[in-house]
Amino acid sequence: MTPKLEIRGATKAFGSLIAVSDVSMRVENGELRAVIGPNGAGKTTFFNLITGFFPPTAGEILLDGQNINRIPAAGRVKLGMGRTFQITEIFPELTVRENVRIAVETGLGFSLRGWLNRSDHKRVDEACDEVMGLANLMPKADRLVGELSHGDQRASEISMALALKPSLLLLDEPTAGMGDEETYQITGLIRRLHRDSKYTIVLIEHDMRVVFHLADHISVLAEGKLLAEGTPAEIAANVHVQNAYLGNPE
Amino acid sequence: MLQVVMFNLTNGLIVGAFYVLMALGLSMIINLSNVVNFAHGNFLALGGYFAFMLTPYIGFWGALLVSPLLTAVFGYAIEQLMIRHVYARNHIYSLLLTFGLGFIIQDGCRYFWGPSPLPLGIPDILSTPLTPELFFITWYRIFMVAVVIFAVSGLFAFLRFTRIGMRIRAGTLDLDTVSALGVNVAALRSYNFAVGSYLAGLAGVLAAGQIGLNPNMGDDLIMPSFIAIIVGGVGSLTGTLLGGLLIGVAAALTTVVYPAASEAVIYVIMAVVLLLRPRGLLGEEGMLS
Amino acid sequence: MNGLLRHKYATTAIIWVLLLTVPLWLPLLGGYTALAGRVLVFGLAAMSFNMLLGFTGVMSFGHAAYFGLGAYGCGLFLKYVTPSTPLAMIAGTLLGGIAGTLFGLLLVRRRGVYFAMVTIAFGQVCFYIAYKWDDFTGGYDGLRGFARAPIDFGAFKIDIANNSTAFYFFIVLVFGLAAAAQAFILRSPFGRTLLAIRENERRARFLGIPIEKHIWLSFSISCFFTALAGSLYALLNNFADPLGLNYIMSGNIVMITVMGGMRAFWGPLVGAVLFVMLQDYVSSMTTNWMFFVGLTFVCVVLFFPRGLMGMFQKGAKT
Repeated sequence: MTPKLEIRGATKAFGSLIAVSDVSMRVENGELRAVIGPNGAGKTTFFNLITGFFPPTAGEILLDGQNINRIPAAGRVKLGMGRTFQITEIFPELTVRENVRIAVETGLGFSLRGWLNRSDHKRVDEACDEVMGLANLMPKADRLVGELSHGDQRASEISMALALKPSLLLLDEPTAGMGDEETYQITGLIRRLHRDSKYTIVLIEHDMRVVFHLADHISVLAEGKLLAEGTPAEIAANVHVQNAYLGNPE
Repeated sequence: MLQVVMFNLTNGLIVGAFYVLMALGLSMIINLSNVVNFAHGNFLALGGYFAFMLTPYIGFWGALLVSPLLTAVFGYAIEQLMIRHVYARNHIYSLLLTFGLGFIIQDGCRYFWGPSPLPLGIPDILSTPLTPELFFITWYRIFMVAVVIFAVSGLFAFLRFTRIGMRIRAGTLDLDTVSALGVNVAALRSYNFAVGSYLAGLAGVLAAGQIGLNPNMGDDLIMPSFIAIIVGGVGSLTGTLLGGLLIGVAAALTTVVYPAASEAVIYVIMAVVLLLRPRGLLGEEGMLS
Repeated sequence: MNGLLRHKYATTAIIWVLLLTVPLWLPLLGGYTALAGRVLVFGLAAMSFNMLLGFTGVMSFGHAAYFGLGAYGCGLFLKYVTPSTPLAMIAGTLLGGIAGTLFGLLLVRRRGVYFAMVTIAFGQVCFYIAYKWDDFTGGYDGLRGFARAPIDFGAFKIDIANNSTAFYFFIVLVFGLAAAAQAFILRSPFGRTLLAIRENERRARFLGIPIEKHIWLSFSISCFFTALAGSLYALLNNFADPLGLNYIMSGNIVMITVMGGMRAFWGPLVGAVLFVMLQDYVSSMTTNWMFFVGLTFVCVVLFFPRGLMGMFQKGAKT
């Protein structure tokens, strides 16, 4: 069966600096994959290669078996790659419902419409309720997003990504800068999306608790290379990984 | 015919040099502070009026030195008092603020020095023509161009070789990094604003010697300065230099062929540049756009 | 229905009651109906401009061009083509709107200060054309020699030419239709994408909204409405003024918007009330009106950047 996302020998060089070197990865449908690594391991560059922020210097990126090397970021969104950003990107002075609604309407191709007929209106409303319900945001639907807690803002951002009906969800450090309670909230949301709603998810994370708690498989990057790959248990037992994180004992 | 073309070409270079002087000051402020100083033309008028006030006491040469400094001090004070409060806000506020400021300065000049045009006395030697054959070029025009060349070289040397100048240049490219290195960005912007005002003041003295003084003298010069910057490319002082000379010469040469279009031609140049090279001749892509 | 929404409907209701009863109360305050007409015209121009500034987050400093083109288009049509008020208004609106749409094509990739400078420069192009082409436009003296004509509905006639109250209600009607159309656009899915661009352009782009196209459309729509206001202005004065095309007029439109509150739909109308009152009062008191207008600009920017309506709203940032 074709994997949802496949990366074959991806390399990205900035001048003489090789940020990502010959990394391969297969993400199956319905899988939750975490990409981890110490600071400077090339995680963000790797993520940017997948989302299409820049093309790879060498290698291939395939979505549903189709090469998407040349497709820019906005085009990949249309192909079903929903994403969130490391710094929460929302529309702060609009309500949660308006934020989600803009995403829903754009996803349905209504962004140039001057009006909606009754059935389209109903479709939009139902889709809004559905994604806000998934993220437990219904009670806060009419609040301005900019006034919400960090966790709720991140949940809103994830709802907006869901509103585009992605087949693959890419999350860039979803719990970055959060306290325990908010981390718990977002972790819970991601798990529900994965287990109950069967989303395929790739996330970059540095919080190990989150990763080991959530992921089916973990890919570890170090110095731009793929150091190890496996289930959380395998990764936890891997000597190379321990060395990379704790410093080489030799 | 050749003489007519020669006349207009020299005229164009002189006018262009003048646009350059004024536009450079405006451009510096845009590049570092992201503020379009709408009152820049009024700063120019103020420089001229300061010279008018000073000439009886210290003569034209003294006024040429002191008046731009006074304008710089005035600019610095205005920056401290008003403009620094809007850096963090939407551009609309700095535009509106300097727009209102321009009104205030213009009406202030009218109140203190009257609405009618005033002459600025210049030394006799400057008002004589070069030679009888070159009757259309007075020494004053040569002198103006010399001052502009001197001031522009001085400015580029300042930006390249002094500590503040280098910081201004670095700040234009990447303000965050400069700030992270511990440079006081607020102070840097104030000095930069003062330098920009100095250039406006200098341009004002030169203009007053040629065309005299009136309270709205800056109004006719602000648009060419804008266009010099747009044509040259926002973010590049060399671009502004090139843009100013280009539109000055183009306007003057158009006068030979079709006088009615001489003012319109600079807008045509702007439209063509925007169509073919939207960032301007030497503008950086992504800079302020 | 939540409180915010109720507040919005109440504001709208109060505004309409006041507008419809102007001929009853304005004379009591010492005003005249034409003054209210001016408020509505400037208010409409500023509300149209605010679709761009307040609801798309894009700043133009050259909207006088489209206002002025609307006025000239209307005046020239009445003078040279045929004395029909509605057709002249359509001509003015089309002239300004199409010019804006074309200029917009050159503008949409620019942002911030650059965008503002280019809009100013385009505005001045229109000013120079009106100024230089005297035999057609009247040059410096402005365009005269036309007058608004009564509107003939066949069965009955509305004499907007001589009856100032009838003309006022005509302006109210046009204003009302335009305001309703604007509200409709802003509440549509398209209008919401404009809000998205204002709030976070990067995010909007990643949702798949074609930013440049939407900014261009917003600019174009804004120019059509501004030109409509301009054509009303020509009818109001039976005169088209080259200074109405000048960047100073652009500054006034921006000022009206900011003074009233750019995040509120009705903000620019409130700003227009303040502006017309200030203009009328100051110019009757002193010859140094520029000084006072300038001072008002500076004070509003420094001390009341959210404008009058903004002071009653929470959550709006400057």
